[in-house]
Amino acid sequence: MGLALIVRRRMRALFRRTAVEQELDDMLRLHFDLDAKSLERDGVPPAEARRIVAARNGGIEPVKESVRDARGTRPIEELARDFRYAFRTLAAAPVFTVAVVATLAIGIGATTAVFSVVDGVLLRALQYPNADRIVVIWETDRNSGTTREAGSLADYFDYAASAHAFATIAGFKQSTPTLVTDDATQVNAAAVTHEMFDVLGVRPTYGRAFTAAEDEPGAAGVAVLTDRFWRARFGGNPSIVGRTLRLDDSLYTVVGVLPPGVRQPSEKTDLWIAARFVKAGATRSNHSVGMLGRLRSGVTLDAAQRETDALARRLETDYPRDNTARGVHLEGLDDALVGNVRRSLATLFAGVALVLLIACTNAVNLLFARHAARTHEVAVRLALGASRRRLAQQFAVEGFVVSVAGAALGLLLAALALHVLPSIAPANLPRRDDIVLSLPVFGFALVVCLAIAAAFGLLPVVQHRGAAVLDAMQTRGTAGSHGHQRLRRMLIVGEVAVALVLAAAASLVLRSFDNVLAVDLGFNAGHLFEAHYTLPQSRYPQDYSKFPAGWTQMLSYQRDLETGVRALTGVRSAAIAATDPLDPGFTNGFVIVGREAEAQRGQAELSTRPVSASYFETVGVPLLRGRLFTDRDDASTSLVIVINQAAATKYFGGRDPIGQRISFWGQAREIVGVVGNERFGGLTTDAPPAMYPPIMQAPMSTATLLVRTTADARDVPARIREVMRHVDPLVAPFGARMVNDAVEDAMSPQRFIASLLGGFATIALLLALVGIHGVISYNVVQRQREIGIRVALGATRGSVIRAVLGQALGLAAIGIAIGAVGALAAGRLLSSQLFGVGPGDPIALGAAVASVVAIAFIGGAWPARRATAVSPMVALRGD
Amino acid sequence: MPAASRDVVQGTVDMLVLKALSLAPMHGWGITQRIGQITDGVLQVNPGSLYPALERLEDQGWIAAEWGTTENNRRAKYFHLTAAGRRQLGQETASWRRLSAAIETMLRTT
Repeated sequence: MGLALIVRRRMRALFRRTAVEQELDDMLRLHFDLDAKSLERDGVPPAEARRIVAARNGGIEPVKESVRDARGTRPIEELARDFRYAFRTLAAAPVFTVAVVATLAIGIGATTAVFSVVDGVLLRALQYPNADRIVVIWETDRNSGTTREAGSLADYFDYAASAHAFATIAGFKQSTPTLVTDDATQVNAAAVTHEMFDVLGVRPTYGRAFTAAEDEPGAAGVAVLTDRFWRARFGGNPSIVGRTLRLDDSLYTVVGVLPPGVRQPSEKTDLWIAARFVKAGATRSNHSVGMLGRLRSGVTLDAAQRETDALARRLETDYPRDNTARGVHLEGLDDALVGNVRRSLATLFAGVALVLLIACTNAVNLLFARHAARTHEVAVRLALGASRRRLAQQFAVEGFVVSVAGAALGLLLAALALHVLPSIAPANLPRRDDIVLSLPVFGFALVVCLAIAAAFGLLPVVQHRGAAVLDAMQTRGTAGSHGHQRLRRMLIVGEVAVALVLAAAASLVLRSFDNVLAVDLGFNAGHLFEAHYTLPQSRYPQDYSKFPAGWTQMLSYQRDLETGVRALTGVRSAAIAATDPLDPGFTNGFVIVGREAEAQRGQAELSTRPVSASYFETVGVPLLRGRLFTDRDDASTSLVIVINQAAATKYFGGRDPIGQRISFWGQAREIVGVVGNERFGGLTTDAPPAMYPPIMQAPMSTATLLVRTTADARDVPARIREVMRHVDPLVAPFGARMVNDAVEDAMSPQRFIASLLGGFATIALLLALVGIHGVISYNVVQRQREIGIRVALGATRGSVIRAVLGQALGLAAIGIAIGAVGALAAGRLLSSQLFGVGPGDPIALGAAVASVVAIAFIGGAWPARRATAVSPMVALRGD
Repeated sequence: MPAASRDVVQGTVDMLVLKALSLAPMHGWGITQRIGQITDGVLQVNPGSLYPALERLEDQGWIAAEWGTTENNRRAKYFHLTAAGRRQLGQETASWRRLSAAIETMLRTT
């Protein structure tokens, strides 16, 4: 009963305020009138009666106040009044308001956007149950220094059978078969063992998982679809379960659909098929089986690593021919997925944190300036009896209004940025779909706001203690705040220092990116088109006993495709290669004939890149020595090979490699030429040593068609597809694109970092400019009188400007000195992400210092001009 | 006797107002008059204590009010005791009696 009554009465007091106040007035007036009347009845004259009543009762207004106090709605009414007052005063100072709101919006917006990316990519846990127990089992090769290689099939069987640290281990092999329906399209398939479901801890949304029997050699093919592929290709129709798909020449029954969020083994995976690996005669020399394990509960990654290390050593002893120098490297699935981007995202996060720091500093600085201007107001109000609590609340409300406006605008900016970011984010950024504006981030922004609001409220009140009130009133708010001024200068110094750190980091990264752009790829990517294809084993048999001459179907497909494409108008040349010029491809062990001892001692494998004779011309790799092979070097003639400059230098030193013989895949091949280095190991990696056998002497079931077109041949891709359909209608091209786009993609991580850090540095410098300008011009206003006196005493324009500018540059100098230390440290942290630039690069650091000096100059020049405009008479009369 | 010392101690105002209203519904001025009459002018409740007290008592639900007119035809707010107010008055009276008896005993001790 009580609460309802009170709520009803409070609501009435708040929302029927006029009526309630009128009633109060009526009630008290009646009381006072009746009091006076009763005195009049005793013979007191009316005027005198009124005076006595007023004196006795203390006047109507104080009584009203005490009733309002008792009413219990006062705090709410005061808050409402404070909000009205805040809006009014903020609207009266538009420059201040816009500056603070914009500063906060930029700071909060940038932080929120970048944090959302970090949250989506790095922090959000994988969507599998106990995902921290899922481990990628890589094989390593001490000879080549490889630490992340797929295992061999035989090794997989051994690890799966013997590694007790794991509850279960799954093997998988990725392939790109053609899905044959009315049309032929390439799909990304993963042949997975049935344990994959248990390793990830997932169950299909529709249908069921593979059974152990379906994973046996010889069992009929079964498949499950990933959620993404099922929706894109089959419109999310559950009736797909039970239907049959044709991949190349084999049939697979769809038994299930995976839940969304399953992106193993790769983001691109369209479907899983039961692996049906054959244990008998499994190879140890071919490394194509990926391994994923689930740790038993309570087993640490280190313990598992120790156990598998021991297993790897046993395999080394048992199978010295294939497993010498082979080890195992365990990596948590999460690390394996995002490990390579973690460092660059951490860099961005650090950068944006610095932007937020500057933004907050700037906001606090602006608030300081405003409070300085209000010193007088606060002092007077305190002297008149306003309570500190009331004043603090009023200022806090003002701070709250500003910071909420800043936060709202900032979240809007963040939402916009997140709209744009994914399109400029590098192609290798995993889980891009997971990037959404996150709630924790919103909370974070709110906390920042409340902190600023609180600071805003407490500062002016804390400042005025006791005697200071009188002081402040006497000085009329023009001076009397020296401590205040010192604090503001320190904030500016800090801002400059942080801005320098960001500017230095940005110029290092920009210079590094410049170097990436200037990299000589070793080939010409202009007007170069590529498309990949895979030939199904059923119609293109691979008989290793008669290699390469026995692989007729594959050889004739290669020849027909190349001839057909070359005949198209708009095509300048065409080639077929095992891998495109940006793909590291695969490596092979090898022996230089006559130097078998070196191979026995263990040597790194050579990148093996079978290509057709026209490859070098098509891609634009120069011949340095000897000859290129021609179309006449085919399966019927003696085996030849071309090596790159890196291989010639590494394995033949000063000697002439031409005429030497390299043996691999059981055959010796004569080196006939040396070609230039292509950077297929990555844009910022020197070309690894490589050998190029003629693809007609080393046919490949998965290969790339490379076509150099004339400048205006936009319809070539469509006609190439036509040719492919003509050669074999069931082989579909995939990954068709211009190589230049691939080069752009390869640069996108660096471009992403460079453009974001560059943007952050620009924001930081602009904010620092606003800060310097604010402090210096405030100072000029404070010293107006002093300047006026100086001018009156004969100071020149030049000396006034020098004094003001000197102050700005002096602050900047201290900031630069402090920031330089931070800039060097930041450079060192960045060094692993830099290419061709040292962490202490003088040009980059010089540019950063120059930009900071420039903003200090601009920030000081403005107020300096104003200072010279001070008329001595006006300044002296100012008080 | 100086006027100030006749001002009613804070806290007892509520009880006095409830008691006055238990006799008849009346407006604010009437309450002060009635308390003054009954106590022969010893206890005086000024408006600065009375009206906040009325506000609090209404919040508690011990009194309720409606608007009426005085004999001179002026708008006035007439307060009356509710059932809860009557119970409250009973409790306060009892505890006041205990307290004053105790003080009386103490003072009488020689």
